[in-house]
Amino acid sequence: MKKKVLSLLLATAMVASLAACGSAAPESTDTQSSDTSAQSGDAAATDTADSAAEDYELTDLYITVDGTLTANVDNGQDAFIEQWEQAVSEKIGHPITLHINQPEHSGYKDNVAQLLTTGQPGDGQYPDALIMSATMFKQYQTTGILWNMADAYANAEFQSRVTLPSINENMKTASGELYAFAPTYGNGCVTYVKQSWLDAAGLKIDDIKTFDDYYNMLKAFTKDGQTGVIAAGFGKLDEAPYINYMPEFWQGAYPAIYKNGDQWVDGFQEQATIDALNRLAQGYADGVIDKDTEEATTKVAREKWFSNDQTTSEGVFTYWAGTWLRTLTDNLDKNDVDADLGDDRLVQLAPIKEIKDTWGGYLNREAPVWVITDDGDGNDAREQAIFDALIETMLDGDKVQTLWTYGAEDVHWSTHAESFTTNPDDPDKKKDYEYAEGEFHLKQSPNDPNAVWKKNHLDPVLVIAPLTNGFIDNDPLVTAGNKFFTENCVDAPQSPSSETLTEVEADLATDKTTYLNNVVAGKMTAEDAIADYQSKWGDTINTILEELNSAE
Amino acid sequence: MFLPVFIYVLIVYYWPMLGVRYAFYDYTLKKIEFVGLKHFTKMFSDADFWKAFTNTLELSIIKLLITTGTAVIVSVFINEMANLFAKKVLQTVIYLPHFMSWTVTAAIFTLFLSTSSTGFVNETLKNWGLIKESIDFMHETSLWRHVYYLVNIWKETGWGTVIFLATLSGINPELYEAADIDGATRLQKIWYVTVPELLNTIIIVLILNLAKVLNLFESVFVMYNNRVFDVSDVISTYIYRKTFMTAIPNYGYSTAVGLFKSVVGCALVLICNRASKRVRGRGII
Repeated sequence: MKKKVLSLLLATAMVASLAACGSAAPESTDTQSSDTSAQSGDAAATDTADSAAEDYELTDLYITVDGTLTANVDNGQDAFIEQWEQAVSEKIGHPITLHINQPEHSGYKDNVAQLLTTGQPGDGQYPDALIMSATMFKQYQTTGILWNMADAYANAEFQSRVTLPSINENMKTASGELYAFAPTYGNGCVTYVKQSWLDAAGLKIDDIKTFDDYYNMLKAFTKDGQTGVIAAGFGKLDEAPYINYMPEFWQGAYPAIYKNGDQWVDGFQEQATIDALNRLAQGYADGVIDKDTEEATTKVAREKWFSNDQTTSEGVFTYWAGTWLRTLTDNLDKNDVDADLGDDRLVQLAPIKEIKDTWGGYLNREAPVWVITDDGDGNDAREQAIFDALIETMLDGDKVQTLWTYGAEDVHWSTHAESFTTNPDDPDKKKDYEYAEGEFHLKQSPNDPNAVWKKNHLDPVLVIAPLTNGFIDNDPLVTAGNKFFTENCVDAPQSPSSETLTEVEADLATDKTTYLNNVVAGKMTAEDAIADYQSKWGDTINTILEELNSAE
Repeated sequence: MFLPVFIYVLIVYYWPMLGVRYAFYDYTLKKIEFVGLKHFTKMFSDADFWKAFTNTLELSIIKLLITTGTAVIVSVFINEMANLFAKKVLQTVIYLPHFMSWTVTAAIFTLFLSTSSTGFVNETLKNWGLIKESIDFMHETSLWRHVYYLVNIWKETGWGTVIFLATLSGINPELYEAADIDGATRLQKIWYVTVPELLNTIIIVLILNLAKVLNLFESVFVMYNNRVFDVSDVISTYIYRKTFMTAIPNYGYSTAVGLFKSVVGCALVLICNRASKRVRGRGII
C-alpha cells in the first residue's frame, strides 16, 4: 500500500511540475519575437547603439573557436590570452577577461549547435562571438540569433586599411544587413604531387594538362600497394565548396544548390554531377583512388599521405594552399620521406583543362567568419562592445592583430636575438636558426621543439587588412604556395540561405553522401542514384529553390 | 530518514524526466513553441524512422539469440573440460574482449577487415587464392549484419558464460551419476541432463535482456557507415543524427523519438515482467 501511495505522490509531483514548466514555455517564444524585432534594422535603435556601447562595460568576453586558432591549450594559449587581455584592456580603457572555448575541431558544428540552442548569454558557456564556416553561417543567418553588425563594420577603424572590401560587402543581405565578419579571404585547395613519384614514373608536372593526363599519372602511380590519390571522402557534401578535395574528378560539377546565372538550381541533379560520379566510380574500380578515401577524415588522409610507410601511400593529394604546403613538406621531412629533395618534395599541379574550361580554376571557398550573438534585449550596447573588443582590435594592424596572426610574443614569435636548433639529435634533419636583435621571427612550437611555429588564427597572406608593423614571415615555400593559388583560383559559388534547407541540410548531405558512395563503389549507377534522389528529395528541393528564387 | 531519500529520488530521477514535455514543443535556437503532436506525426510518416525501428528490433533480437546460444554452447564446453588449468586460461581469454571498449573493438575489426593492403582478412584470402577482389565486409549491406553479429559473439560470449557456468556448477552430480549408471554417453548426458538444467536460466537471461532490446547504440554507432544505413541504422543512432549532426537541431523532435522509444521499452519491460512471473514465479520489477 505504502508503495502505491508513494508512486501516486511521485506521479502527482511530476504532472504538477510538467504543467508548471509547460506554462513557462511561451515566454521563451516572446524572447524570440523581441530578438527578431531587434534585428529588423530599426534606424533609431542603431543611432543609439554607439552611445549605449559607451555606457556598457564588457568585462568578460566568451568566444568559441574551432581548430583554426592554432594557439590551443597545448600550444601556448595561456600566453595568448594574457597578452590579448593586456593589449585590449589598454585599447578599450578597462580590464577585460577573455574566455576561450575550443571544442574538438571535427565536432565543432555539433558543439556550436548545442551551445546556441541550450545556452543563454552570460551563463559562462554561451558564446558572445564565435567562428563559423560559410555553410554554418548561412544556416544561422536567418535564425535571428546573430547580430547585424553592418553599422559597426562600416564605422570600424580598420576600414581605412582594408585591401579586400568585397569579401565582407558580398556577405551583406539584399537589405544591407551584415551578420558576420570575415577577417580573411577563404583560401582553397590545390593538387600536390610527390616529385619523387613523378620521377619514378618518368613524368613531368608540366605535361599533366588534361584529365586523361592526370588519370594516366594516377595509373602510373598505382602499383604494389601504392595508389594514385587519396582524399577525405570522394566529395565532402556537408561542407562548401564540396568538390575541392577531388577537383579533377568533379571538374565542372557542383553537387549542391547553387546560383546559375540569376537562378538557384540543384547541381546534384545535373548531368555534370552524373558524369563526375561516373569518373569517380571508374577511378575507384581501377584502383587509382585509395580505398580508404571513403571513410577517411582529413587527418587520416593526410597522415597516410605523408606517412613514413610510403609503400601503401599515394602520389597525389589535394589540400589547402599556402601554409599547408609548408606543413605537408615538413611532415614528409619528419617522416624521412624524400629527404634528398628538401623543400622540392612537392609540386603543385596547375588546374587541368577541364577545370579551367568550367570553373576557371581551383575554388576559393567562401571565407570562414566571426559572428556576434544577439541577446535579443533590443539594445545593441553589449553587441557593439563585443565588436569593439574583439573584431575592431583583431585588425588593428599592430599588437592585437599580431597576436591573432602569429600568437604570443616570446612564446610563438619574437624580435629578440636568439638561436635555436631543431632536431639537434638527428644529423640529417638538424637545422640551426639564428636571429639578430630586432629581427622578427617565429620560434619553436611550444609543444614541438623540433618544429618552427607557423601561424595562429589569421593567415598573414589572406587577411583583408595587412599588418602595419612589418612583421612578416618570409617563408618562401608558403609565399610560393599562396602565389600559386591566387594565380589559379576563382571564387566558389555563394552558399544559399533558406529556412527549409537549414532544416533538412544534414539529412540531405547524408543521403547524397550515401548515393555518392554507392555509385563509386559500383553498387548502383549514377543515373539510378539521381533518379532515387529525385523521387525522395524532389519536392523538398523544389520548395527550397522556390524559397531562394522568390527571395531574389 | 524518508524525506531526504524522497527528495533525492525526486530530484535525481524524476526532475530530469520533465524534459519529456519537449516532445510536444518545437525547441530550436531559443524558440520554444507548443506544437502538440506535430513531431509524432512527422516521426510516424518518416520512412527512415520505421527503418531504424525495425532494424533495432531485428539486430537486437537476433544478437540476443545468437550471443545467448553461443554462451550456452561455450559454457557447456568449458564445463566438460577436465584440465582445470586449461579451463581457467580459456575462461580468462574469452572474458577479456568484454572489457575492451566498443571504439577499440570497432577500430580493430575495421582494420582487420579493411579492403586496403592493411586488411589482414582480405590479404590472407587473396594470398590463399580464395578471392581475387577484396571483400568490403564493412560496407556491403549483405555482409554488415553478419560482421556485426560475429563481433558481438567475439566480444560478449565470454562474459555471457558467467551466469551459465554458475548454473552448471550447481547441477546435482547425482544426476550425472544416474546417467552414467544408465549407460549414457557424454553427448547424451549433455542433452538429457545439462541442457534441461540450464533451460530455466536461459529463459531468464532471454527475458531479462528482452526488456533492453531497444537500448542499442554504441556497438552500432562505431561500426556503421552511410552505405549500410538500410540494415544498420537503429533508433538511438537515428536520434543521435537528428540531435547532434543536424545544423540546427530541433530537440523537440529528438525528444519525441526518445519518448516513443521509452514507451515501447516500458511496454517490453512489463511484458517481460509478466513472462518472468510465469516462468520463475516472480517478476523482474
